[in-house]
Amino acid sequence: MNPVFIALVAIIPIAAGAVAAAFAMRHISVTALEGMTRQPEIAPQLFTAMLIGMALVEALAIYTLVVTLVIAGKIVV
Amino acid sequence: MLTGNLWMVDSTGWVVIINALVASAVLVGLGRFLARGRLTSGVPEGRQVFGEFAINFFIKKAREMSDAHDRAKIVGTVTPFLGTFFFFILLCNLFAFLPVPVVNRPPTSFFSATLALALCAVFGNLLLAARFKGPGGAIKHLFWPNPLQWVSEVTDVLSLSLRLFGNIGGEYMTIVLVAAAVPVGIPLIIHVLGLIPSFVQAFVFTLLTASFLAGAIHHEEREEKARRHWFGRRRSEPATRS
Repeated sequence: MNPVFIALVAIIPIAAGAVAAAFAMRHISVTALEGMTRQPEIAPQLFTAMLIGMALVEALAIYTLVVTLVIAGKIVV
Repeated sequence: MLTGNLWMVDSTGWVVIINALVASAVLVGLGRFLARGRLTSGVPEGRQVFGEFAINFFIKKAREMSDAHDRAKIVGTVTPFLGTFFFFILLCNLFAFLPVPVVNRPPTSFFSATLALALCAVFGNLLLAARFKGPGGAIKHLFWPNPLQWVSEVTDVLSLSLRLFGNIGGEYMTIVLVAAAVPVGIPLIIHVLGLIPSFVQAFVFTLLTASFLAGAIHHEEREEKARRHWFGRRRSEPATRS
């Protein structure tokens, strides 16, 4: 198959995944920051929970990266 | 491909194995160095301060998932389990910052290595649950209250390994590709930015393992006590509590 076509197809999942994960991460960080500024005494616990939530969201973006790598691996130059 | 094969051992695969062995050797040597000499239960000094600082967080996580009657057993077993994951993954990630072209491949940018780490985490969780609750309790956790709960163990392996591999492998690919395009100056910025995922991913792997473990070794009576505690507290008037 045409390598340019495969490359164009491989772009689609990573772009969609990055956009969706960016929105989700924005929500997580804004909410955590609001909580931290309202109650600075529980900021460490909030930070840990924020990191876990961000990692779970990031995993979805990473899955799309893996799909992209698999598709890009089909390119034979 | 410029960055080598990401999935299987190929001609540069030996670098990964040697780097992982070097990381293990550094970890063991550092641990033996920090634990050498007179250890005191009073006010620590010298290298004991550093060692206690390094494992303090994991002791705290282990205390959170234990009761008063089994605290010594759980803390003594879970702390080394979590600490080993954190420091081994951190050392592996930091291999990307060696300024040598072929040797700077971090072992965690390699799917086989992260898959092995995630399998160690999930099977270690099962073994620890079997140790604390007995083998029947550990197996019951896989099928009760939801008969499909064992599926989550499989997806835990996938998500832990793919998350670590994607982050560190992507960072490594970025470093290699940017260094190939602009050899001077710009790679330094990418290296500094790459420090963040190195620490955060090691931390996240350990935290997720700890939360899976806390779910695996929790007791029914502890859950019942927590439920009564929380719901009783909500029914009572909140103004009397600080």
